[in-house]
Amino acid sequence: MTSEVQKREAQNLPRFSPSTDIIEKEDGFHIYMDMPGVTRENLSIDLQDTDLEISARPEFPRIENASNIHMEFGDCEYRRSFTISDVVDRNNIKATMKNGVLELYLPKAEKAKPRKIEIEAG
Amino acid sequence: MVIDLSSFYNVPRQMDRFFDEIWKPSMISQKRNAYPPVNISEDVSNIYVHLEMPGVQIEDVDITLSDGSLVIKGNRKHDTGNYYRQERPAGLFQRVINLNVPVDADKVKARMKDGILDIVVPKAEEAKPKKVSIEAE
Repeated sequence: MTSEVQKREAQNLPRFSPSTDIIEKEDGFHIYMDMPGVTRENLSIDLQDTDLEISARPEFPRIENASNIHMEFGDCEYRRSFTISDVVDRNNIKATMKNGVLELYLPKAEKAKPRKIEIEAG
Repeated sequence: MVIDLSSFYNVPRQMDRFFDEIWKPSMISQKRNAYPPVNISEDVSNIYVHLEMPGVQIEDVDITLSDGSLVIKGNRKHDTGNYYRQERPAGLFQRVINLNVPVDADKVKARMKDGILDIVVPKAEEAKPKKVSIEAE
């Protein structure tokens, strides 16, 4: 019952797609997502085959008995999904949450790494 | 908004986004022009200012209080690499908040948690409401 109510509440929340940077570096891909107010506990990352879904419920500081004068952000839900290509080593995806930014590290699969081919002197 | 029908841009997603923006709740201001987004609230003794600035280091933020306004300056740093997508704003930012009440400048407190900068500005003694007692004759 309670979980049902919570679910309904969650559906009514405005949903935001967090701003994301995707950067390729030599060691793999780095995804940075802006999720202010999110801690490790209220973040969920699901990987199903090639779909990576990130969702979170931020918690903003709330002050009792204070009246709001001006609001530009508020209770919401962050949700965003990505499709991961075969280039990524899906078993070794790492996630770190720091200072309101989620960093996902997607290492490149061994077979996708560029290989240097030695030229033999004839 | 630019609608590009080539496969590079995800058109259905852009459409979704467009409609999402129309249906955003009215409580939250729709204009996201100024950066960083700020929430201001007050009670009898303090003014509370919250700013969303994920990924900003404490040492990169500069808060100054001068002449009735609170100025928050900062810098969001870039990472280097081959960018596939860049949506997170980067670079220098500044936001000025006008405080219309006299404040106690020495007791302003600020802290950063989970990408939210939390500033508490205590109101000056003279700005607080005072109870006037009526003497019975």
